Amino acid sequence: MLEFAAWVESTPISKALFGMSWLWPVCESLHFIGLCMLIGGAGLLDLRLMGMFRGLPIRHIRTMMPWAIGGFLINAATGALFLIMQPHLYLGSAVWWSKVAFIVVAAANALFFETRLALPALSMEPDADTPPAMKVVGACSLFSWFAVLYCGRMLPYLGTGN
Amino acid sequence: MAFFRSLQNSAFTEWLLGSDSIWTYPTVLTLHTVGMAILVGASFVIHLRVLQVARAIPLRRLLPLYRFIWIGFAISLLSGLILFVTQAADRIVDPVFYVKMASIAAALCLGMMVKRRAIVRPGAPEVTTGVSRSMAAASLALWTIAIVAGRLMAYLKSTV
Repeated sequence: MLEFAAWVESTPISKALFGMSWLWPVCESLHFIGLCMLIGGAGLLDLRLMGMFRGLPIRHIRTMMPWAIGGFLINAATGALFLIMQPHLYLGSAVWWSKVAFIVVAAANALFFETRLALPALSMEPDADTPPAMKVVGACSLFSWFAVLYCGRMLPYLGTGN
Repeated sequence: MAFFRSLQNSAFTEWLLGSDSIWTYPTVLTLHTVGMAILVGASFVIHLRVLQVARAIPLRRLLPLYRFIWIGFAISLLSGLILFVTQAADRIVDPVFYVKMASIAAALCLGMMVKRRAIVRPGAPEVTTGVSRSMAAASLALWTIAIVAGRLMAYLKSTV
């Protein structure tokens, strides 16, 4: 894995991108903005699935999801740039792989919601309490996204052996 | 200035930055990010609705989100105060720090004005007024500036 990282870093594209000294801080800023969009939009849906915000119909909250997905895409794109520029920081890091794992969990959870629970959720009364399965899915999503944030922010500090 | 210098060089700063534990500086930094995610995330959702995204959502139903704004703000403020102490002398002369603080103050003020005008005012229309929309857009722009300024400060750190 670290050999692969070294190879990526030796490619002209990696060198050229990392050579643009402004690109890293710009990507970091965008990564933070995307994070707020994602946690804001997805978080509201998650809390409603958990039974809070009664009176807010799930189908209406869901129309905000393209903005949360937009935030995720911003972060996926900027994250990919970090990875191309400095792969050795990530590919050898258990914390970074944990972050990836939590993203997979959050994505699988969202897919499960969309394929199994979305139809009943969308037709629910605005004031209705949610069934246990939706509460679990909402809590799982919220936990996973904050775990992703935690792993990302703690990446330079966790498991560095000091 | 001597006061800020003494904060930055205090035993507290030395302990927080010098400790090998992940529960000191890294955790304060992470809490600052968690606070931001809750505060700006909730503001983002409210102001998107004011900007007529997801317009089927009744505006008043968003009121509970303000609790999250204040929780996120409290987490960011407390962790931010600790982070400030560790770099007090550097930050007090750093224009980027003042840009960040001014943006946050203005974003919060505009957010409160939007809340009063478009959300809690009796008879506030579900189709928000142009003034409310402009304020919501400005507030989101200011949060963006605050985030960028905060990120840039990490690059303008002089060595302690």
